[in-house]
Amino acid sequence: MIYKLMKMLDKSFGIEQAKAHCDIPCGIYDPITAQIAGLTVVRMIDLMADLESKHPEGGLEMQNSLGRYVASKEEHAEKAKHDIRVIWGDYIKSQHMEKHPNLHELVHKIMALGSKSRQTADRETAVQFVEAINEFAEIFWETKGIAVKRAKAPYPPALEMVYPDL
Amino acid sequence: MLKFAKIVDHSLWPEYREGDFVLIAKIPLGFRSIREGDVVVFKHPLYGLMIKKVRQVGPENQIYVTGTHEKSVDSRQFGAVSQDWIMGKVVWHIGRPTR
Repeated sequence: MIYKLMKMLDKSFGIEQAKAHCDIPCGIYDPITAQIAGLTVVRMIDLMADLESKHPEGGLEMQNSLGRYVASKEEHAEKAKHDIRVIWGDYIKSQHMEKHPNLHELVHKIMALGSKSRQTADRETAVQFVEAINEFAEIFWETKGIAVKRAKAPYPPALEMVYPDL
Repeated sequence: MLKFAKIVDHSLWPEYREGDFVLIAKIPLGFRSIREGDVVVFKHPLYGLMIKKVRQVGPENQIYVTGTHEKSVDSRQFGAVSQDWIMGKVVWHIGRPTR
């Protein structure tokens, strides 16, 4: 009865939520989603450059494609930042920080490079973004006791990526 | 001062379940009386409004909180809860009726 009343009050007025924050259902963390998102940012910049060279005169079709590439670049840079923040905030513990004291600095660098990749169409910045995420992936897998290997991504842009060596 | 809040997520499961409501007695009504076993609501700067169980109150009033679920995100990750963050403690738990 009281619970029903509270439900009605919540529906009508919106009762503030208190989070009993939990990692359910996961414990599933993998930086590969951030790495792929970072790679996508570089890919979008390549496509933008390619578009410009093929259509120097511009035009509606060109602008339409350009708009789509920019939107995708924005989305994936933000996704990469988000996915790194989740691992950093939810998975990384003080013992990891003791072993990798540069981790906060590295995460901050990823955030800054991600923002700059959104603000500009500078390929070199985006490549640095991917490499910083790779460095994060190396540390992440080390905390799991899993060796890593570096290999070129099997799709364009074929940048070097860090993968768990399973 | 009293305030209602609704619980989301599962870290206090099975005692408190998602969708339950709680009545919070707000600070300064009861800060000094916060003790081990109390369920407190506090505003964490990163996680927002959280509800957890007090596991320990340190000699300088540092409040260590935990959930009751093994996957709970709590003082084991973010350390002691600052006194300034505490909004109050739960004085009434309105759980969902069990079928």
